[in-house]
Formats: sequence, C-alpha cells, structure tokens
Amino acid sequence: MEFSNINIIDVLPGLFLVVASVLAMISIAIKRNHIFIFVVTSTSLMGVFLFLILYASNHEFNVEPLFVIDGFGTFVTGLIVMSALAVSLLSYAYFEQREERKEEYYILLLLATLGSDILVISKHFVSLFLGLEILSISLYAMVAYLRKRNKSDEAGLKYLILAAFSSAFLLFGMALVYSASGSMDFTGIAKYVSANPTLPLPMFAGMCLMVVGIGFKLGVVPFHMWAPDVYEGAPAPVAAFIASISKGGMVVLLVRFFDTINGFQYPVLVLAFACIAVASMIAGNVLAIQQTNVKRILAYSSIAHMGYILVAFLAGGELGEEAVSFYLVAYFLTNIGAFGVVAILSDQDRDAERLEDYQGLFWRHPKIAAVFTAMLLSLAGIPLTAGFLGKFYLITSGVHAQLWWLVIVLVASSVIGLYYYIRIIAMMFEKAEGSDELALHPRLYLINLITLLVLCALIIYYGIYPQGLIEQIHNFLQ
Amino acid sequence: MQVAFYIAALVAVISTIMVITRFNIIHALLYLVVSFMAMAVVFFILGAPFAAALEVIVYAGAIVVLIIFVIMMLNQKEEAVTQEKKWLTPMVYVGPAILSALMMGELVYIIYVGESHAVGQHVVDVKELGKTLYGPYILAVELGGMLLMAGIVGAYHLGRQKKKVIHRFLKEKED
Repeated sequence: MEFSNINIIDVLPGLFLVVASVLAMISIAIKRNHIFIFVVTSTSLMGVFLFLILYASNHEFNVEPLFVIDGFGTFVTGLIVMSALAVSLLSYAYFEQREERKEEYYILLLLATLGSDILVISKHFVSLFLGLEILSISLYAMVAYLRKRNKSDEAGLKYLILAAFSSAFLLFGMALVYSASGSMDFTGIAKYVSANPTLPLPMFAGMCLMVVGIGFKLGVVPFHMWAPDVYEGAPAPVAAFIASISKGGMVVLLVRFFDTINGFQYPVLVLAFACIAVASMIAGNVLAIQQTNVKRILAYSSIAHMGYILVAFLAGGELGEEAVSFYLVAYFLTNIGAFGVVAILSDQDRDAERLEDYQGLFWRHPKIAAVFTAMLLSLAGIPLTAGFLGKFYLITSGVHAQLWWLVIVLVASSVIGLYYYIRIIAMMFEKAEGSDELALHPRLYLINLITLLVLCALIIYYGIYPQGLIEQIHNFLQ
Repeated sequence: MQVAFYIAALVAVISTIMVITRFNIIHALLYLVVSFMAMAVVFFILGAPFAAALEVIVYAGAIVVLIIFVIMMLNQKEEAVTQEKKWLTPMVYVGPAILSALMMGELVYIIYVGESHAVGQHVVDVKELGKTLYGPYILAVELGGMLLMAGIVGAYHLGRQKKKVIHRFLKEKED
C-alpha cells in the first residue's frame, strides 16, 4: 500500500506549527498560563524559522500531490513565520491588559499562520482551499476575540459572512475549472491551458469566480468593503495579522497559480487584473483621505498597497516575482509596525484609533512617535525607508513589462497617498491643548517597545542598505 | 439511468430555488431537505454511492437537525405557534411533498433496476476512497483536522457568555 511516500522532513515547518498548537491546547486544559503559552508560541515560530534557515533553503521538491516546496515558497514561509512572531510579541502586552481569556488567541494565531503557510506552498486546489479555510476560520474568532466590545462582534460577523460567501465563490470557480480541465493540480491545469489558446467558456467562468474569491481575501476593489470595518473592530494585533500575513499568503498563491498555468496568455484575465489594480490604487488612496480613524486609514492604505503589488504581479517574470518578494518584506514590516504602534497606545477601554489620540504624541512618547513616523513614511514610500525601495522595485518591474498605464496610476496615487500619511505625522507634532477626558492611559511594556524598535530599525536598514536582502531573495528565487 | 439523473438534477435545482425564495425559515428548511436528497441521488447516479450516503446522513440528517435546534433556541412565543398553525396550510407542504414523491419514485426505480451502473462513470467505492484519502491525500486529511480544531477553539471562545451581562446583574443586586 502506498501509505506514505512523504518524507517527514519536507513537511516539518507545518508539523512544528501543528504540534505547537496542540501543545498550547493541552496546556490550557491543564492550567491556564499566559506566559507559558506565549513562550510555546514564540519558540515554535522561532524553531520553524531556524529550520528554514538551516535546512530548507535551496531545496526544491514536490510533496505530491499537494505541495511544492521551492525557494519562493520557503522565503515567504520564513517571512510569514517571522511576522507571526512579531505579531505574537505585540499581542502579549496587548492581551495582558485585558480581562478576557487570553490563551485561546495563541492557538488561533498558530493555526492561522499554518493556514497562510499552506497557501504559500500549495500547488493543488485541495491544499489551497484547506489552507484558506484554516486561515479564515481562525481569523473569524480572532477578529471577534474581545467579547466585551460591540464593534468586535460586528467586525467578526461581517468577516464571517463575507468570507464564507467568497469561499463559496472560490469553490464554485474551482469546480468549474476542474470540470473544464479535469485536473485540480496546477500543472495539470497548465497542460490544459497550453492546449487551449482561446479561453473556453467554463474555464472563463471558473476563473472569474476564482478572481472574486481571491480578490476578497486580498481586499482589492471592488471586493474591499469589509476591510475598513473589520480592521476597525478587530484588536490591533489581529488587524496587523490580517493586513500582512493573511494577504501575503494569498498574493504568493496568486503569483504561483498564474505563473504555473501561464494565465497571462489570456488577455481577458490580464485586463481584469489591470482594472482591479487601477481601481484599488485610486479608490484606496482617495477614500483614505476622508477618514479620521487611524485603523480605517491603515485599512484603506492596505487596499491601495494590494493594488501596487498587483502591478508587479501583472508584470510577471523573474523580476516581477523578485519585486513581489521584496515588496512583501517591506509591506509586512511596515504594517505590523504601524498596527503595533496602535496596539501599544491602546488602553483597556478602546484602541488608539482616533486621530486625536495622536495629537502631541511626539512630546508624550518621543520614541513611539519616531517609530510611527518611520512606519508612515515607509508606507508613503519616502526614500531611506524599505517602502521606497519596494515601490521602486514595483515600478521597475512595471516599466520592464511596459505596463505604462499602471505605472502612471501607481505614481499618481502614491502622491495622493502622501497627504493622509503626512496628516497623521503632522498631528503627532502638534501640541495637545488641554487635557482630554477620553485620553488613553496605556501601560507600556518593554517587549512591545523593543519589537517596534527592531521593526523600525529593519525598515531603515533595508531602506539604506538593501543589497543584503536583495541577494537573499536572488538566492532563494534561483 | 440517464432520465433518472436529469429528474434528480431538476428536483435539486427547483428545491434550491424554493429554499432561497421562502420567507419563513421552516418552509425553506422543508425544501432544503428535499434538495439534499436530490443531490444524494445525483451523486449516486454519477457513481459515488458513499458521497450519496454521507449527503443524507450528514446534511439531510445532522445539519438540518442542528438548524431546527437553533430555531428552537430562538425562543419563540405563543403567538408564533398560532401563526405557525395559520401558515402550515397544505399550500406549504404540498410542494416539498411532490418533489419528495418524485425522489421516492426514483429510489424505487433504482432498487428495481438493481445493479447501480452509473452513467458512463467508474463507480468509486468506499475502499477506493479510503485508500485515496489515506494514501496521497493523507496530509489533506490531517489539515482537515486542524481546520476543525480552529473551528472548535474559536466557537468555544466566542460561545462563552459575555461578561458585560454579569456586570449588569451585579449592579442590580447592589441597588
């Protein structure tokens, strides 16, 4: 019986996360201890990262029939794991201040990371859907985790209904693609695609439905409606998770799927993604201008950023993949840092989400204000930050592929975007007048501060000296 | 067999349309059960008897019972009962009854014909299914386990009573 042709070492990163989540669950059953479960989570994430560095780099193999483990996947898995570690470091202090039961959060965090990791390495519809659902189901509970807040219920319910709906779209699309091509494996679909230069109708319908499902997860226009409400209602570390890890996994999957099946030979699909990219860049930036809630501003900015990343995705090729990898690193660091600042300034009653909460921050907490300024400048793409180089990479890949319109829209909408980032920075330098009753009284934890400073240092380091990172990406993508 | 397939598929489509157009949840539920049964027949004719059995046991059985539990927990008052009596006219159950009768007829027909020769398909039996699931797709099965774990842990956390409510009671006692 061909029971197991799976080499256990190949799937070890996933196994690490599974074991850690089961261990966390058992430890809750025995005795609830926040620190213990936090240590288990962080160690396992660190363990996966060390394993990837020591063993898995420069390996390329398939775990038939579900997974492909290549350089791109390994690189992004490492990125996801380290981002999850940053999120869990930020979460510890955030949840320590709240009376809710905190321990289940870490199980969900580990499982969501596992889901994203599976998306990144999957080459089959079955593993794609399972990974997506593990990610989504963990996120439903994480978004609504703080039961005492009304807004988090609303956000959780919105995310649940819309994500379930989009999963149904994705599933129906996959069924149609399967019925047309007779294969759920990406390479099998690629064979069918190369035999059909014109897009057959069932395949076309299936692809369209899949674009809806994927677009929802990425939060791109016109499937972006959930993003601002969910970001606003979710706890700040969870918002960081959704903005970075959950979207990053889907981006990689999209790149891999289209690269494998060579979907760009169909002009219809290219046009559809180009329209989505343009709409996201413009709508994300324009809508963010009117917001006065920092979490909502970051939500709209992440919509715009997904639009930017689609430019590199459309450019395709090796340069496109490289640009996506670099941009994901910059985007993950920046977004987790920005939401980390929101998390560190939040107190028991509410998150630091109003623009007024940041008034005069520079005089109250100069270190945090400096970090937040760096994050916002990186989001805006100002030189000397990783965000600038990421955007530079995207534009290079767009120009290389001669996507002039997309590049022009990218540059123009970035300029619009500058306005609302700078507005927050200006707010932080404004002197606060009088004492506000609603002022927040956060307890600052050293662990948070250190995490933020490390993230900030990385952004500036990669902004000034990106060669190291670029060489790493080259090594992995070869 | 081909005719049986088309009848079952038609019943599935009609009953599903009825499910999403009903305003009363119980009425929708009646059609939902019919829809599941029709789907089971479709699976059977396409050569997947195990999937057909699961469709009946899990969906038409367990899930529908769960939905009924949820409706019970909504705690409807007595007016709801009288209203229900008013609504439960033959008009309501005649539709699902006709569709179910059709399915019944198909069931008798399939048993009468005996051998389950699927329409031009290879019949997938349980043994083959198990070998596939626990052979190449073993990792998918284990990921399914993780999926359920995420669901259970999430539901456990969210299902707990809100503390907010307890606070309010405590305040009332102080008065």
